[in-house]
Amino acid sequence: MSNNLISVNNLKKSFGGLKAVDVQELSFKEGELTSIIGPNGAGKTTFFDLISGFQDADSGSIFLKDKDISNAQPYKIARMGMVRTFQLTKVFDRMTVMENLLFSGSNIKNDSFLRSFIKLNSQKLYESNLREKANEIMNDLNIGHMANSYARELSGGQKKLLELARSIINEPEILLLDEPLAGVNPKLAEDILSLITKLSDSGITILMVEHNIEAVMKISERIVVLAEGSLIADGIPNEIRTDSNVIEAYLGKADE
Amino acid sequence: MTSTKISFRFMFALLVTAFSIYLVFFLNPDGALRILLNLLTFAGIYGLSAIGLNVHFGWTGLLNFGHASFMGVGAYVTLLLMPHAAGREGEVTTTGLPFFAALIIGIIAAALFGLLLGLPAIRLRGDYLAIVTIAAAEIFRLLVRDLESITGGVYGIINYTENFQKYRPLFIDNFSGNLGFSPSQAWVCLAAWVSIFFTVLLLKRLTNSPWGRALRAVREDEDAVRAMGKNAVWLKLQSFMLGAGIAGLSGVLLAFNYGSLETTVFIPLLTFYVWAIMILGGVGTITGPIFGSIIFWVIISETDRLAYLLFENANGQQLAGVRFLLVGVLIMFLMIFRPSGLLGKKEELLLDVK
Repeated sequence: MSNNLISVNNLKKSFGGLKAVDVQELSFKEGELTSIIGPNGAGKTTFFDLISGFQDADSGSIFLKDKDISNAQPYKIARMGMVRTFQLTKVFDRMTVMENLLFSGSNIKNDSFLRSFIKLNSQKLYESNLREKANEIMNDLNIGHMANSYARELSGGQKKLLELARSIINEPEILLLDEPLAGVNPKLAEDILSLITKLSDSGITILMVEHNIEAVMKISERIVVLAEGSLIADGIPNEIRTDSNVIEAYLGKADE
Repeated sequence: MTSTKISFRFMFALLVTAFSIYLVFFLNPDGALRILLNLLTFAGIYGLSAIGLNVHFGWTGLLNFGHASFMGVGAYVTLLLMPHAAGREGEVTTTGLPFFAALIIGIIAAALFGLLLGLPAIRLRGDYLAIVTIAAAEIFRLLVRDLESITGGVYGIINYTENFQKYRPLFIDNFSGNLGFSPSQAWVCLAAWVSIFFTVLLLKRLTNSPWGRALRAVREDEDAVRAMGKNAVWLKLQSFMLGAGIAGLSGVLLAFNYGSLETTVFIPLLTFYVWAIMILGGVGTITGPIFGSIIFWVIISETDRLAYLLFENANGQQLAGVRFLLVGVLIMFLMIFRPSGLLGKKEELLLDVK
């Protein structure tokens, strides 16, 4: 088709009478860092749920790398290289930080019952390589000292970092970040932002839902604005800043 | 970091278990050994079943309230494949598979029953799965009861113990004679504890493996497991099959301990006993249910003696009431004192079901 990595057509989803997502056409190019913004209830998270397979669309189609993934299972989509995080951080609470990363980094073959029972040397080697990789990522994200703590002992910000670490250990092609800065202190937010920029520079395509407009304006290459499920603006940060539709959606109509 | 803590927990569990065994001797000046053998046989069989349940609930977070049916499938399939007599007429069938072949098929059948039950049900979460499993277990039990031509229905199955007892080694007969044991029960008891030994070995191998880690991840958060590209449903089904297979083995042992098999054995109470044992021993642990099971059976079997000693002038009816009161008080006391079970870690207290 084109150099579009993800493209959606006529994507619709409603809950009862509420129209959550209604997007005519939207596509994302390889390597882009795109932010999706919009007021609360604009359908941003539902949009993520739809393209990552966690919810089925009422109608419309979604293509990932020119493959139709409209009703595909979430784990199959993740295996195609598109990994997401969650608005409410989902870490494996009663597993250690290290185990969180090892689980996420380990491939399905390594996870199999039979291999786990037989315990070949190749599996041990795979695990120790994985452990090294996990250590590297943890140290990069400053959670290395927490490696053997249970994930539920982490602070909110550290959990965000762990979730990020978990998402990148498999070197995904596309990252869907759902509010990576929510509830994070300014210093940590800085770190997370520079990490996101670094990931983007390394060639990963990133879609990010975020409410911190300042941060969004700073790092995004492109901004997509949703309101009441529909696309109302799409462009580079400077265009969006002055777009009358966007200002209206966020602040209400001038004459009201 | 935790090695001293673990050994403390382990020592504590050993101590409580030793004390409860001492209680048996204390409360029964005569024939304590025979009571102990009976008790350890049940403890071994139920403990094995609780180890299987722990794979479901402790490892994977599956609320399975139909564990009795897995035990039942294992027991019925194994017995019906061997020479036996079933039903009112009690006609003896002389043809059948040898014990070990029937046992292996029985265990596989229990695991497949887990798969069969799991396929439609396992997408359900938490308490919904609990409702479906408890209903499925009752359906299984009523089906077995009504298929009288095959399963013997309410009349049950008899004449099957010889299939297993003929493998009994001579030394069991020798020392059973000396100690006043029933040699056949001693053989079942030994088989149960050997089964526990190998099951624990198997699970120890799996618990910290990538597979065991994946099950624990499913327990913690299924959505995150999916987002990491893992098939959570398949992992849950595998867990269901493994736990069901272990339950199937314990069901076979239970049948051999009874000498005749009836459907009333697999009533929901059996499931709840197994749950109590798992919780007492420590959810998510491997060896916890072993200790939990011994203590549970001491409590169940010795409370009537205890009640008798406490209230000398009470009649039988009054004692029966007091007895269950004591069961409740003792279990409550243990749970208040060790809320995560004898071997459970506080950090992994798993009773807060989402």
